[in-house]
Parts: sequence; C-alpha cells; structure tokens
Amino acid sequence: MARVEIDPVTRIEGHMRVEIEVDGGVIKDAWVSGGLYRGMETILQGREPADAFYVAQRICGVCPISHGHASTMGSEEALKIKIPNNARIIRNIIEGAESLHSHILWFYTLTALDYVDVVSALSANIADTYALAEKAGTSTADFGAIQKRLKGFVEGGQLSIFTNGYWGHPAMKLPAELNLIAVAHYLEALEMQAEAAAIIAVMGGKFPHFMTSLPGGTAWIPTEEKLDDIYFRYTKVRDWITNTMIPDTLAIAPFYLEAAGYGKGVGNHLAWGVFDAPDFDPKKRTLPRGMIVDGKLALVEPDPKAIKEYIEHSWYESATGLNPADGATKAAYNGYKVEDKYSWVKAPRMNDKPMEVGPLSRMLVGYLSGVEGVKVLVDSTLKALGAEGKPEILISLLGRVAARNLEAKFIADEMGKWIGELIEAVKGGDSKFFTEATETDGAGAGLWEAPRGALGHWVNLKGGKIANYQVVTPSTWDCSPRDAKGVRGPMEEALVGAPCIDPEKPLEALRIVHSFDP
Amino acid sequence: MAQEVRGDFQEALAARGVTRRDFMKYCGSVAALLGMSEMYAPQIASAIESAKKLQPTLWMAQGLCTGCTESMAQVDSPDVPTIVLDLLSVNYWETVMAAAGKQAEENVKATIEAGGYVAIIEGSIMTAFEGNALRIAGKPGIDEVVKVCKSAVAVIAVGSCAVDGGWCAGEPNPGGATGVQKFLKDQGIAVPVVNVPTCPVNPEWIVALVVDLLLVGGLDRIVKGLDDKGRPKLIFGSTIHDNCPRRGHFENGEFVENIGNAEQEAKQWCLYKIGCKGPQTYTNCPSVRWNRRASWCVESGAPCIGCGTADPVSGGPGNWFDASAPFLDRTKDVRLPGVGGVQPGVIGGVIGAAAAAGIAVHGVATAASGRFSGAPLETEKAYDRKKAAKGGDK
Repeated sequence: MARVEIDPVTRIEGHMRVEIEVDGGVIKDAWVSGGLYRGMETILQGREPADAFYVAQRICGVCPISHGHASTMGSEEALKIKIPNNARIIRNIIEGAESLHSHILWFYTLTALDYVDVVSALSANIADTYALAEKAGTSTADFGAIQKRLKGFVEGGQLSIFTNGYWGHPAMKLPAELNLIAVAHYLEALEMQAEAAAIIAVMGGKFPHFMTSLPGGTAWIPTEEKLDDIYFRYTKVRDWITNTMIPDTLAIAPFYLEAAGYGKGVGNHLAWGVFDAPDFDPKKRTLPRGMIVDGKLALVEPDPKAIKEYIEHSWYESATGLNPADGATKAAYNGYKVEDKYSWVKAPRMNDKPMEVGPLSRMLVGYLSGVEGVKVLVDSTLKALGAEGKPEILISLLGRVAARNLEAKFIADEMGKWIGELIEAVKGGDSKFFTEATETDGAGAGLWEAPRGALGHWVNLKGGKIANYQVVTPSTWDCSPRDAKGVRGPMEEALVGAPCIDPEKPLEALRIVHSFDP
Repeated sequence: MAQEVRGDFQEALAARGVTRRDFMKYCGSVAALLGMSEMYAPQIASAIESAKKLQPTLWMAQGLCTGCTESMAQVDSPDVPTIVLDLLSVNYWETVMAAAGKQAEENVKATIEAGGYVAIIEGSIMTAFEGNALRIAGKPGIDEVVKVCKSAVAVIAVGSCAVDGGWCAGEPNPGGATGVQKFLKDQGIAVPVVNVPTCPVNPEWIVALVVDLLLVGGLDRIVKGLDDKGRPKLIFGSTIHDNCPRRGHFENGEFVENIGNAEQEAKQWCLYKIGCKGPQTYTNCPSVRWNRRASWCVESGAPCIGCGTADPVSGGPGNWFDASAPFLDRTKDVRLPGVGGVQPGVIGGVIGAAAAAGIAVHGVATAASGRFSGAPLETEKAYDRKKAAKGGDK
C-alpha cells in the first residue's frame, strides 16, 4: 500500500492536490483537495448587479464568459428582466466561442501531454507520418520542420515547459508518428483557441474577462464589418475542429480503449443546459437541462431546491447542508487532514447524491432528450469505436474525453446557425439590445453551463444591492470532497479502481483528473 | 548587424506560416512599445533571431483565476511556442507544464539552485490563515513566493492581482490578498519588481518586457523606466481617455446615454456618461488593443472599468474594484498625487500640462466648449447622488 500525493496538479485552472492510495497497481482510495480560497461570495456583498457581472467572471480565467452570463442571469431573474432577442443570440454566440476555445485548449494544451509522448515524436519517420495522417483523415503540417525544431530544442538541453514530463512511461501507447502528428497539432491548437477567443474579443471587448453581457442585455451592437469578422474567424475554427480535432480524437482513441473500463465515477450526471432558445425554456436549450441518476440512462428533471452544500470536510464554519439560495460562506482553516477537513471546496449534493457535471453529462442528457446533432455524433463515434448501440460505455474515462471533443464539433456546427440568426435579426431592423431594470429587490438563480459543467450563481438583491451571493461552480461539483456521510465526490470516485502502474509517476491518475477539466 | 542569424528560426517561423514580413512588422511594434523608433525593428529582429541561451523563468501561480496565463496564450507574434521554446526556458508554469506533483517541484528546486532566473508571479498573495488561504505542495502559498522571489534576478508581477491584490483584495478582503511588491517589502526581501497591472494582463506588454529584458535594454533600462508604482512608464504613462478613438465625441459633447443604445453606439459616441473610467486609467489599451488587436473594451460598447488602476505599496487609490465600482456610475473623485478630487475631463490636461495651472485653464475651456451640455462643472459625487435619486440617467 503506497500513499501518493500529486501536489500541485498541473495543467488545470487553479490549485489542486490529489492524494491516492495505491495497492498492487490499482488506486484503492482518493482525496481531492481544492487549494485556494479568495472569497468572491463575500466580496460581492453590498455591490451592484453590474459590478457582480464584471467581477464574478474573475472566478475563472478559462470560463469567464459562463460566470459572467450566470451572474447576469441570476440578477435578471431577481429583477424580472426579460432580455431582447438580439441579446439572447449574441450571448449564445459569445458562450459558444468560449466553449470552442476552452475545449481546444483543454484537449491539446492541458490533457494531450497525458497521452502524447513529445520525446517519442523525435524518432518518427516523416514519410510514415504523412501516410498515417492521410489514413487518419487528419490535417498535415510541415512535420519535418516541426521534428527538426523539436530536435534542436531537445539537444539544446533546456526543455522549458516539457522538463520532467512522464516521457517514456509504459502507459504512453501512441506510435512515434502519431505522437509527431499530435505535437504538430498541439502547436496549431494554440492558434485556433486564440482565433475562437478573438470572436469573444470582437463581441465583448477582450478575452479573458469580457465587457458586454450586462444585466439587461448587451452593450455590443453588431455592424456589418464586425459580423463579417466573427463569421470569418468562426469558419476557420469550425473547419479545424472538423478536419483536425475530431480525426485526431478518433486516431488516438483506439490506442487507449482500456480507458473505457475505468474512471466511471458516481454515475449521477447533471446539466442545467446552455444556449437559450427564443422562449428561454431550459428544456429547449440547444443543450438542454436534465440529469441521470445511478448510471441509469433515463432522464430526470433536476430541482435546484434539492441541492445542499456540505462542509464537514471543507475549511468553513458556516452551517452545513444549506441550499445555495440561502447559502453562507465563512472560511475557517484548521489544518489539512484527509480524515477531517482537507479542501477549500464545499461538497454540493443533489437529493444527497454527488453529481458529475461537464460535457459528458450534457452529451448524455442531450442524447436522451433526442437532440439530433448529439445523437448523430454519439452514434457515429460509438460505431467507429466498435461499440454501436452502447452509449453506456461513455460513462468512463474514455467517454469523458471523447464527449468533450464531440461537443466541440456539435457547438461548432450550431454556432453557424446563431450567427445566421443574428444577421437576419439585424437585417430585419430589430434594434433592441437592452431592457432597463424597473425593480430593485428579488432573488434569482443563473443556472447555466461552463465548458467544464453545470454552473449556478444565486443572487439575492435588496434595494438594488447584493444581499447574498452564492456560486456553485462545475469544479465544486466534480472536485468536491466527501460529504457529511463520508460519500466521495465524483472525481474521487472516478479515481478509485483505476490503474496506477508506477506510483512515482501516477500518469493514469492525472488522466482521470484532467478528464474533468478542473 | 554582424550577429549570426539562426536558419532554423526562420524555418520554424515558416513552418507556422509566419512570413519574414510579419515578423519584421511585429518587431516594429515591439520597438514602439519599448519607446524606440520603428527603425530599430531590424535590430530587435536580429536580437531575437540570435538568442542562444534561453532565459530560465519560473511562472508561479498564486491567488489567481489563470486569466493572465490565458491571456498570454492569445499573443500571436511571437506566439506562445516561440516564447516558451525560443526565448524563455519556462521551467515551471502550472497551467501548461508537462510535469506534475513531485516532478514539478523538482523543476522549481533545480532552477533556484542554478540561479539567474526571472520570477513571474500571477495572482494575489493570499496571506489569510497564515498563508493557508492558498496551499501549494502541502504548504502555504506564501512560502513558495518567498522561496522563489528571494533568489530571483527580478520579479514581474503579472496582472492586477499580483500587483496589488486586484479584485481579491476587494472589501472586506477575506483572503488577505495583497500585491507581491508589498508582500516582499514586508518580508524584507529586496529584489527589483516590475508591476504590470490590468485584469487580465495584456500579453503584448509582457512580450515587450521579455524582449527588452533579454535582448534590448536589460534589467537596468527596465528599472529606470518604471514609474512610482513600479509600472513601465512607456505602457502606463498616459490615460485611455488621452488616446481614445471616441475622444472627439467627448469634445463634441456626444455621449451614449444608456447601455445598448443602438443609435448612439453605432456612432461610437463617448461612454463617459455610462461610467467610463478611461479618464483615470493609465494604460495604452486604445493603441495596443486586445486579442491580437481584434478589439478592446471601449470599442465593444462597454465603458472602461479601470482594471489598470494600480496601488502596489502606497495608500491609494486601492485595488481596481474598490477604486472604480460601481462601474456604471459616472467617475467619482479621481485621486491624483497632489491634486485631490478632480473633474474627469481635466485629467488629460493635468497629465499633459503637468502643472496645477493647467487644470484651471483646461477646466475653463471645458466649460466654455459646452461639454456636459454646457452644465457648470460639478463634483461627481453630487452628480451620482442626483442620478441615484432619479433612478439613473434618462
């Protein structure tokens, strides 16, 4: 029995520690600890809704759009504001661009190095690399120049960000040529995530942290020139996802099919839903609201009132088991002990069950809700991987990785429709972008999705100022510690039972952690 | 220029579709950012091309949202691969590095032992609960800051959180957030600190600083070029208002009266009345812009929220959230050294003339030319009270 600590967990947003118990090459137990407390909920007390929109985004520099939107939606519900149709479409496009940005960044920059051996790419045969790329149907690059550059870099002896990676690890399975293809696309991905982010910049001023989706609507007014700009950038990103990211996923997956056998997690999945329809019904969102429980592939309607946040294992002294609408956050650090308190993350539960959130949850809910684009993508992928008619295998490490990339493709296809919708609305002369607030008091919740999962901002306003503010982020759900009954959080549960060949280099554990995109 | 040019560098650029012309253009913009004539572009190009040894760098994540790292990923020429493969050896950068856990910590140790490294700090220093508001590698985050900064050649505080605590230091500052310069001073650690505010940081500035540090002027030149808040004067020397493309509309008294006003916004009128903090915010955002020059805040129709406000060690004006919120209210007291509460619109005059006399002259001109619909100059606090009583600008 060996106790292994991964601290810091790298290639994530924020600070995390993972402790695992390994016996006979298998993970027997796990503890996930969130390392940072900043106190956003406390800092927002007494502020105005627009200020909350601007500052609550700063919870996460990778998904600020989603936080901004959830904050704004919480205030709008509290003040009974219905936003104009133009604002709805504009927010959907900005939100979609963030998802594309985030998913590309996640697959190539954050998690690829768990599967792709950069050093192995040095021994790739260039002609074979082109042949393999053609066979896989993925895009080519100047593989020779990239390999030469990599060689020069390695021979220089200063490995920079690649220093001390798990190169040559026995769980790295890709042939050298596929590693080289992936390295080439790792570099290209940096270009593409930035192109997606530039769409946000055009519509929101900048990214990360945008300016325009204020409570009431949007400050951004489209012009022909700007619409042209976002459409051009959008097609570039969409085509790259279709021609590079998806074929790469399908080329890499067969080498890691064993990952369909572990990393399943708690089997409970929650999606608040994202991308609003004209009537703002959450069940009609492009990716709809819903949940599944105990691994049964059947849709259940989630009830926000059934959420309780526990703090028995978290460094807080406010009451435990509160619903976020009446939540409280009072920090109190008393030392790191996995038997007692070990995380800055609270433990939210729905009907007292830990819920996994993220693209896998959204794809499952979308699939069960009969969303056409989701069904086509999921079914064709299952077929390609030899698991036709078995969507349940998606509840695994492999499925969680695949779901995120499939969702990128789905959103990329949908986004074109929204841009068309906006062009039509503007051509039709609709010049309404903002609804002023007429009320100052009320309570609301912005229940939405960040790229990494279900996100809620609960806003309580009195006299136009924030009387209470509570946030349950995707990572609060996924990375939660144990609850009052000692039940593990989703990531902890997903780690248990997974292999760990080399406790000195716990690569498989990192893969599971990264699959949640924390 | 007798320096040797690396052929592989050109090849590497070409492999990524960057032409020689793109690269020279980029070097010209770096020259401009560094306050030099664009005629220096070839020298900068040559310096980048002939860089041999990579500068060891530790990029440390403290109380952060990772937005500044995200922002760095948005820079194009040189793009991230060039920065982390051809210029710097970033031996530790949590968000992008291959190593994790123990192996990541080994990288820090080895770099500190070898010495001669630059420390980049992202995020605020979290001092609450004896530094346990942030835990890294089983210890308080502040331990890491001390360990890394005390032997660094220089420290670059990237983004407002690292500069003065940023929004994390917003009242009541539950995490005990503070800037790195103040923290190091309190710890008695003497090391040059360069402060680069805004939330997130604009990556173009960091690239320019890195090029300047490594290849052009060196640390001495950078330190000599800092203002009293430790910011590079060339970047933070004039207000957004001074260089705003909408400035002409301000002069004409043409304002967007409410957010989302399609007609007024389409004419790109001035956002001052809906709270723009451009007059008191010192950055060159209007010219450098954001996300590969795609746009910037004011161009998108939203008022500047003053995220470039910096207060690293002195008593004012505080972190940008407390200094500028409520963001959509018209600017309140603007505190300038030795001037006190001043009407926005004369700030440009204060900076331009750098003399108290300038305020009066500019103020008279402002009233006479009919700005603010010819209304007499008023104190902004009075304006905001009136506005609140009426339920906002109508």
